[in-house]
Amino acid sequence: MKFDVMLTGVGGEGVLTSGVVIARAANLEGHYVRGVQLHGLAQRGGVIPTFVRFGSEDEIHSPGIMQANADLILAFEPLEAVRACYYARKEKTIFVISDHRYIPVYSSILDIPYPKLGEITRRVIPFSKKVSVFSAHRLAKEKLGNMILGTTVLIGAATGMEALPLEEDNVRKAIETTVPGELEKNLEAFELGLKLGRSE
Amino acid sequence: MTSEVLGRPGEKVVLLGNEAIARGAVEAGIGVAAAYPGTPSSEVPMVLASVADEVGFYFEYSTNEKVAFETAAGAAWCGVRAITAMKHFGLNVASDSVLPVVYTGVRSGLVVMVADDPSGWSSAQSEQDTRYYARLARMPMIEPSNPQECLDYTKLAFDISEEFEIPVFLRTTTKVSHSIGTVELGEIREPKTRGEFRKDPGRFYSIRPRLQELHGRVDDKLGRIEEKYGQRLNQVYPGEGNIGIIALGVGFEYCREGLLQLGLTTPIAKIGMTHPMSEEFITGFIEDKEAVLILEELEPIIEDFVKQVAKDVNPKLVVHGKDMLPRSGEYNLETILPVLGEVFGKKPEVDFKAHERQVREAERGLPPRKPVLCPGCPHRSTFYAVKEVFGDRAVYAGDIGCYILGIFEPIEMQDFVISMGASAGLAHGITRVSDQDVVVFMGDSTFFHSGLPPLVNYSFNAKRSPLVVVMDNAITAMTGHQPHPGSGFTGMGEKVKPVKIEDVIKGFGAKVRVVGAFNQRKLIEALEELREIEGPRVLVARGECRLLTRRRLKSKGIPIVKYVIDADQWKVHEDLEEIAEQFACPAFMQGEESGYYIDLDLCWGCGVCKQIFPVGVVEALRREAL
Ligand SMILES: Cc1ncc(C[n+]2csc(CCOP(=O)(O)OP(=O)(O)O)c2C)c(N)n1
Ligand code: SF4
Ligand code: SF4
Repeated sequence: MKFDVMLTGVGGEGVLTSGVVIARAANLEGHYVRGVQLHGLAQRGGVIPTFVRFGSEDEIHSPGIMQANADLILAFEPLEAVRACYYARKEKTIFVISDHRYIPVYSSILDIPYPKLGEITRRVIPFSKKVSVFSAHRLAKEKLGNMILGTTVLIGAATGMEALPLEEDNVRKAIETTVPGELEKNLEAFELGLKLGRSE
Repeated sequence: MTSEVLGRPGEKVVLLGNEAIARGAVEAGIGVAAAYPGTPSSEVPMVLASVADEVGFYFEYSTNEKVAFETAAGAAWCGVRAITAMKHFGLNVASDSVLPVVYTGVRSGLVVMVADDPSGWSSAQSEQDTRYYARLARMPMIEPSNPQECLDYTKLAFDISEEFEIPVFLRTTTKVSHSIGTVELGEIREPKTRGEFRKDPGRFYSIRPRLQELHGRVDDKLGRIEEKYGQRLNQVYPGEGNIGIIALGVGFEYCREGLLQLGLTTPIAKIGMTHPMSEEFITGFIEDKEAVLILEELEPIIEDFVKQVAKDVNPKLVVHGKDMLPRSGEYNLETILPVLGEVFGKKPEVDFKAHERQVREAERGLPPRKPVLCPGCPHRSTFYAVKEVFGDRAVYAGDIGCYILGIFEPIEMQDFVISMGASAGLAHGITRVSDQDVVVFMGDSTFFHSGLPPLVNYSFNAKRSPLVVVMDNAITAMTGHQPHPGSGFTGMGEKVKPVKIEDVIKGFGAKVRVVGAFNQRKLIEALEELREIEGPRVLVARGECRLLTRRRLKSKGIPIVKYVIDADQWKVHEDLEEIAEQFACPAFMQGEESGYYIDLDLCWGCGVCKQIFPVGVVEALRREAL
């Protein structure tokens, strides 16, 4: 068995940490884990794709996912979902997207408008088996007062809809070891997400 | 992430390659770790710093890689195991001391972890292949492929180093250092932290006639290392057919998975020790082959070696490598799979090129996302003020730090970027032959790392000198916020008296002004004053890295003051769009109709926008409103 997850979003918005959560949950489940976490310019608004691969040790070697081969793409930012299509393909890939826009400064500097959400999903659909869009960040802001928890909401949603094939409890435990500082709010965010996902 | 690094022996955890190296060093019982940060190696010292107290070894962030290497080597001379870690360019700085220490040797294990960065994910300067240093320095070099090996090889590097009394390179590339993987933890050896320098005349210098004797001894050591570890660190994965693959580092991982995807069972020779290369091992692998494919990123070092060996043992051998794969850029499955396909006559499941064309089509016309300075970054404010005073005409000497992002529009104030500290040296050369105004931008960490010699040189040789702006944000920001001599605390978190940049510069006899980086008026006044001076002059633009300010306030539960644009006031004035676009704080958002608004989630409250717009356009929100 082999499962390839790509996480994408904007630097400093919790993509790296979310990757760690998924990797640790997979480890708790007894999977062999491999992946890429590009550290570096994380804080400065660039794009940082993170890869987590899990499954059996003799099927997984490369840290990165191969082009057109992701099973799941978690996009914490809609525009980046489109750019993640490089790793996606119709027969295989499920997209789970948060609709929270992080408009790049270059949008106004170069006068290139940020596309509407409908336009984004229209572009993603040819590369996906299924596309689910959630207002994860808005919900986090409304219910928990902190937008950044939207990443945890989205992980919850992916788990709840079983697009991420990991036990809820293992994800919970992984959250516990990864974000001990803001544990309670993260767990609440995860529950919110689970509910969203289950009703999807 | 670091919590797992100190897990129990036997426990299986997921670690980053760099974390696994740090764990390996802890398991090896290091007494000293010293480093200057540089991505992709940065997490090695970051993790070591975070566990040093608990495990009981000494850690420091040194002022540069050369000093860090010397610190580690000094400890290893006294019988204490030591490690230093650096990025490839760091080795350029350290090399002057590394080469002679290979001659003198060490008493305890000394490991130099060095990370290359093919594709330049976090390196702007060159795509250097550090394996040449192993040859130049005649120093052993071993190379892990995944996090488990990162841990194991680190320990092994210590063993080799100690046994043969020679420093050992542990080389990675970005995708080894920054890849994660399941790792089984081993026993932690009690750190030995105290030692003694025993005098040994003739051992710790290589002056004639000792020079040649020591050189010969290095040859002898390398020969014995090749003999003992050539078969152990290099490994054959048997398979079918008379074509073989030779791979190393992350290329080995791609190779295995690529073969799996194409349903092939080709024999692989994995190279774990890239210096000294084992002739015996290569001979054994290529003797009976018709062809080999060599998967090595960057330079054809192994390829050349294999060709050399083949001349004697198998002259008909066809050697593929750089004839099919690029010399520049890192590899991945998409680069390797088609090559394997070509060699073995198999087709990958997906047509990568056609798929990529579809993706490019889907991405067409989307606004690009490039890294930018954070909202509220002090560098943005400093750049803005300098441009107010010097316009577009001055030559802007760039350097390495977050401010390198000033290359991009709309700032465009880094006319050249070469290496740490080179802004000042190159600017001096320009000023010797040109009357242009030259402004040097240099960060505080860079100032201590390698900015001092070119700046003293101004006092020595330049009656007319460039204007230097030290962008002092109190930290080494770009690589993940490590302290430096001006920060006021050490790598182990101990409070120390900060070295003040202005005091240092005053000692050079240069004119110094220290100004808050978030105060536009004062910045401009100081720049105008310094512009009129001919001799050495330095503006220290001091303002804490905003990301740190934000973190600090957040951890104390203090809300950051946010700023808002008064839409009515915006309409009263003209050309405000231009100011907004020129300043380009990422919190500024273009409104639906006209004008801009500030995204309160993104504003980090530096208050500089309030100063650059006409009075009343931007105002601070009251704290209660937050
Ligand atoms: C020889 C060498 N060592 C390390 C690096 C990695 N590096 C890139 S930027 C940087 C930080 C510079 O810090 P500073 O000048 O204070 O600028 P800041 O990022 O804080 O703005 C470092 C260490 C490098 N490029 N070259
Ligand atoms: S990390 Fe600090 S110095 Fe770097 S861009 Fe952000 S605020 Fe500026
Ligand atoms: S919006 Fe203004 S106050 Fe807020 S971070 Fe940007 S420049 Fe600073």
